[in-house]
Amino acid sequence: MRQSVFWNRVNRVLLYLGIAVLFILVVFPFYWMIVTSLQPQDAVFSVPPQLWPKHMTFQNYIDAWNSAPWLRYFGNTLFVAVAATLISLATSSLAAFAFACIDFRGKEVLFNLVLSVMMIPAATTLIPNFLIIRTLGWYDKFYALIIPFAASVFGIFLLRQYFMSMPKELWEAAQIDGASRLRYFRSIALPLAKPAIVTIAINSFLGSWTSFLWPTVMTQSQNKQLIEVALNAFLGEKGQQWSQLAAASVFTTIPIVILFFFVQRQFIEGIGGGGIKG
Amino acid sequence: MDNKVTPARRKQVIRDNVAGWLFTFPSTLVLFAFTFLPAFIVVGLSLFDTNLVGQSDFVGLGNFRQMLTSGDFWGSVLRTLYFTLGSVPVAVAVSLLIAVLLNAKVRGRTFWRMGFFIPYITPLVATSIIWLYIFNPDYGMLNAALHFLGLPVSRWLTDTVSAMPAMILYSTWHDIGFAVIIFMAALSKVPTELLEAAQIDGASGWKTFWHVTWPMISPSTYFVVIIYTISAFKMFTQVAVLTQGGPVDATTTTGYYLYQQAFGQMHFGYASAVSIGLFVIIFLLTVLQRRVTGRKVFYG
Repeated sequence: MRQSVFWNRVNRVLLYLGIAVLFILVVFPFYWMIVTSLQPQDAVFSVPPQLWPKHMTFQNYIDAWNSAPWLRYFGNTLFVAVAATLISLATSSLAAFAFACIDFRGKEVLFNLVLSVMMIPAATTLIPNFLIIRTLGWYDKFYALIIPFAASVFGIFLLRQYFMSMPKELWEAAQIDGASRLRYFRSIALPLAKPAIVTIAINSFLGSWTSFLWPTVMTQSQNKQLIEVALNAFLGEKGQQWSQLAAASVFTTIPIVILFFFVQRQFIEGIGGGGIKG
Repeated sequence: MDNKVTPARRKQVIRDNVAGWLFTFPSTLVLFAFTFLPAFIVVGLSLFDTNLVGQSDFVGLGNFRQMLTSGDFWGSVLRTLYFTLGSVPVAVAVSLLIAVLLNAKVRGRTFWRMGFFIPYITPLVATSIIWLYIFNPDYGMLNAALHFLGLPVSRWLTDTVSAMPAMILYSTWHDIGFAVIIFMAALSKVPTELLEAAQIDGASGWKTFWHVTWPMISPSTYFVVIIYTISAFKMFTQVAVLTQGGPVDATTTTGYYLYQQAFGQMHFGYASAVSIGLFVIIFLLTVLQRRVTGRKVFYG
């Protein structure tokens, strides 16, 4: 009996050791990003690399920030991400509500058509979309970065599930109280679907913030660039100035990380299907 | 049941139809304009030799013939398969290991889980930059660590042989969190009574895992394999940032090849054919995986 207690202890220690080693391996690049961003440029070429900066400096942040119109890039990205998120939330919740709660002709066909969109990968439609965007006169305009993302099949699907699971009595009671359909949607159904809305909003916002291929293809001028495209251009410009590159990587990533800290439970549960308890 | 159509009932039906179509219209319009319509246009474009600006010649199935006989296209498919076979099994094994460890009632699980998950939400460009520095053959951290451990060093991204393994390493690091979450969810749904029963029957931890846990979580395993394989074929950003498809063509996967042909070479007709090829490959993979899944998997 005592022996089994001993081995249990050993197992626990090994368990935590294993987790810690894997954890350090996964998190190390972020540590290294921050350390590199605080090193003077000449220190980044030292062999072997210094795990802890000998001289710490914030100069890289200042230099990196001043080498490009980052404020504009942040503004562009924030604008595009917020606009795409809000519009797609509006369109998907309306559509999901109709698919879940309203009987109309052709509903099943339309819903299956919407779902079939998921079978068409974005890589396949990139070239024709380039043509469409140019034909619409949206090339190098923010429209091109917002409107194509103003609908979300994932959002429609998820919200439809939510709306369908709401008890019929709610709608009946609302009708007795004289509420219109739109009012029921706005004041009762939507607030109840808040978890789904948060999940969709995070997905949409992250999608816009981290997008790269689409804005690379659809925009050209510097004052229309999104943050990731700008960061890649900065890499091309700065070559091996790793400390400034690391500084720019840090300040372009931080908003995403902060956002993630606030919504991580919701986001992770959205992926895991709600089966995880933290 | 009242089968008579009263005026009030008829009015209601009309209102339902109007509301239904009105509410679904904005989404449907966007999906039609930027997914369905393009899917038809891409088929049309694939029949032309065009740079989208001036020149445009009908070539019938010429682009497809060119694609199917092109060493570059098949090379890109083989490299994508290499990437997939190199990354997916590792990703599954490592993420499952992490999920199993975290599932063992550890303290601070939320904290650990967040650490493993965070690379997945960080932008590919920003993290590729730090990995470029880590991979640097002369003063990068990876070679320094290998040297410290007495292991052979490598030229990583600058050598045709080691570039793809480096790409696999980076991508696995970036994407592993997603699989960890899926596996954690799957493991938490394995009934504890089953595990306890196996233990009472004297099965070792290892045996319990293989004969109880592994079959129970197989739907999630297949899901992870499908998602990761499909995303391998769509992979673009990390290739663009880390290697631009090089050195020579060593990391030109099909997703990147498609981009190069279209927006690099302005061969939009040919690239449209490649887009359709890519669609067919992804479609077949999905069907194939589903079929395999249908036979061997335990659906709880």
